[in-house]
Amino acid sequence: MIRWNTDRRKFLKAAGAFGAAAALKPGFAWSADGDTLRIRMEGDLQVLDPAFMIGAIEDVIMRGIYVSLNRLGDLREGSPWSPWGAEKIEQKDPKTIAFTLIEGLKWTNGFGAVTAEDVKFSYERVANPDNASPWAYQFEQLDHVEVVDERNGIIHLKNPYQPIYVVALPYYGGHIISKAATEKAGGKYTTEVPATCGPYLFTSWEQKQKVTLTANPDWPGPKPDFAKVEIYVVADDQAAQLAYEADAFDYTKIAVGEAAAVKASPPPDTTLVEAQSTRYQWLSINMLSPRLQDVRVRQAVQHGIDVSQILTGAYNDLVPRSTGVVQPGTPFARPANLIPGGDYEKAAALLAEAGASDVTLTLTVMNDSSRTAIAQIMQASLEQAGITVEIQPLDEAAYWGVGDKTQGDGYKNIDLVLMDFAGGVDPSENLVWFRPDQIGVYNWSGFDSPEYEASYQQIITETDEAKRVELSRRMETLMEESGGFIFICHQPLTLIHRNSFEPLIYPDGHPNPVLFKKKA
Amino acid sequence: MSSVAELGASIPDRQRFPRLRAMMSDPVIAIAVLLVAGFFITAAFAPWIAPYSPTKIDVLNKLQPPSAAHWFGTDHLGRDLLSRVIYGARTALMIAIVSVAIAGVIGMLLGLIAGYGPRWLDGILVLTFDSLNSLPMIMFALAIITVMGAGTGTLILVIAMTSFPSYARLIRAQTLALKNSDYIVAERLLDASPPRILFVHLLPNVIGPLIILLSMDIPVVIMVEAGLSFLGLGVRPPTPSWGSILYDGYTSIRSAPYMVIFGGLPLVLATLGFTFLGEGLRDYLDPRMKVGRPA
Repeated sequence: MIRWNTDRRKFLKAAGAFGAAAALKPGFAWSADGDTLRIRMEGDLQVLDPAFMIGAIEDVIMRGIYVSLNRLGDLREGSPWSPWGAEKIEQKDPKTIAFTLIEGLKWTNGFGAVTAEDVKFSYERVANPDNASPWAYQFEQLDHVEVVDERNGIIHLKNPYQPIYVVALPYYGGHIISKAATEKAGGKYTTEVPATCGPYLFTSWEQKQKVTLTANPDWPGPKPDFAKVEIYVVADDQAAQLAYEADAFDYTKIAVGEAAAVKASPPPDTTLVEAQSTRYQWLSINMLSPRLQDVRVRQAVQHGIDVSQILTGAYNDLVPRSTGVVQPGTPFARPANLIPGGDYEKAAALLAEAGASDVTLTLTVMNDSSRTAIAQIMQASLEQAGITVEIQPLDEAAYWGVGDKTQGDGYKNIDLVLMDFAGGVDPSENLVWFRPDQIGVYNWSGFDSPEYEASYQQIITETDEAKRVELSRRMETLMEESGGFIFICHQPLTLIHRNSFEPLIYPDGHPNPVLFKKKA
Repeated sequence: MSSVAELGASIPDRQRFPRLRAMMSDPVIAIAVLLVAGFFITAAFAPWIAPYSPTKIDVLNKLQPPSAAHWFGTDHLGRDLLSRVIYGARTALMIAIVSVAIAGVIGMLLGLIAGYGPRWLDGILVLTFDSLNSLPMIMFALAIITVMGAGTGTLILVIAMTSFPSYARLIRAQTLALKNSDYIVAERLLDASPPRILFVHLLPNVIGPLIILLSMDIPVVIMVEAGLSFLGLGVRPPTPSWGSILYDGYTSIRSAPYMVIFGGLPLVLATLGFTFLGEGLRDYLDPRMKVGRPA
């Protein structure tokens, strides 16, 4: 009979040996070399109902657990779309799109096949103003979805809506959910998803730590390259980069300021991606403010800011200056700004002409390091033009309240606000926020142009690309001429990933892990 | 008969200020005095000591490592870090001293009133002190700053509002202990007015412990200011602050770790200096402490 005698010393020896062996064993956890893909996102999920989600990690998860009629290609390739959950998508006429779902799409939890009725339910639910979905704008032009049979349906639009393929169908409100399951769940849900149908199953969620997706054996479409996806929640870019270097992830966004160092000395087996994101940044100059009602004062601000200093100081010259909010590199973007900026004499002359002396303006900014750095560069720049700027840093919750008309008349009293929004592929997605009905919502410049509104209505229905380009450029010119905007840039997207695979990044800057491809 | 001056002159040097001498003979306290004095001198003479303007942006020379031109290097906007650290001392001390002084005055007045006044007033004031004391300082600060916006004024207000109840409590306790002393009763019999009793007779006897508490709270306030500035909720940019230097350094910690080191070092030294000095003062001023007592 073997007698197990142990004491504290023996136990410590054994534990030490085990620990050393574990530490020396390379790749103790499964990594991208195996069948698990580990990606990092900044925040945790709150809602997995496409109509009411907030975005970011939630949509990344939904790209795996739900199906959409089409999908997008990589941001760096212009995000071209192709069919995904539909084997056929056909534009019958400018207001009619027919689709046929692929065979074999099946809901989990016994809710049967994915049908055209589910597509109708999903889209009309987002579009219904009574539901107040934040993604309703995606289906603003949807009239209704006609169900032809189980797999066939027709999307009927109120007006021709050219951007529907890249704005509405592939993501966010475009994810298809089960009508029967949702109704059984009470018509709405948050994190208890009643049924899914996608390449992955939602396997587990450790709050504020990790979400695990595993391959769905019933998925009839192309199998994803990775059988398991682990999405880690790490808010801070610096911490995430350290964790990546310690082999905790295979894919993470990094701070823009770290790109140069990573490029010079990359971690082993790592590729650095530097791309221009769709996130556009600009300065709102509020023409409703009593201090900025004279267009010459607003123009003085436009002339008084040297944007090149911002691009160098905040973005290491990784991206050029933008000429508007529309994605650069597309034909919709203007060739140049009307006012190049950094002309302090011109700014001072405009102030003198307007009879404005001792101009003091408040610049509201979200209180993170990058944005406050930009605000300080603007402050120094405007000081040279004779304009005193007081920076008002606010935390995120307070920041989003300053231009919100539901919180009183304060939105008429803000002066300058540094803003940035996630954009899209189609120009209309980025131009929508500056319509007159957005004043006191997201249009914090008080920009109120009937011509702009008319052009917007035209650009979303126009099918002639040349005319759309002309409209897009005219709309941005109207914005700049109003004195209400200084366009800064489309922010750089900097991320690192293992060499063993090629990621696919959607235009919102977030990955679609379903389409990550292992390298041979 | 010899004069007082002559008597003083006849006392050997080593017998003068015995507790002060004893305090300064402790090397830790001596270093603390030097540190605190150094910070005050730095803050007072910042415009003459700092080699550059702390707000002068030079983006082409950002994140430069320490060199002969920039001893501490430059920050993410190309500003001279040494100059920002020097001016940061001014910010830290100004906020700490002003807010602690305001809190001290409010606490002293309310504490005297609570301790000397009628019972019902004492009850109301104590309830107020305890209510304010029950608010966690950082959470209260975050709430106030969210409503009022960040800035030096808000910071001072928040610190003063959260600090004065403990000072008031201390003064109230001291006042309660002394209000029925013979000399106070005698004053009352002589028809002395309450302000005279409070400020001429009570105050000098209760203020000692308050001064010690105030001096020991200065490093706490410096840390609170730095913490809120680190969160982007302290002083407004471009005002230099050790907390904001730390935050800006943290965002570049991998490529420019010196920002965190040079931003954090004065914070550590100031905290240590003021803490040890406070303890030394306590030993010096508290008659119950044996250290330094003349034989």
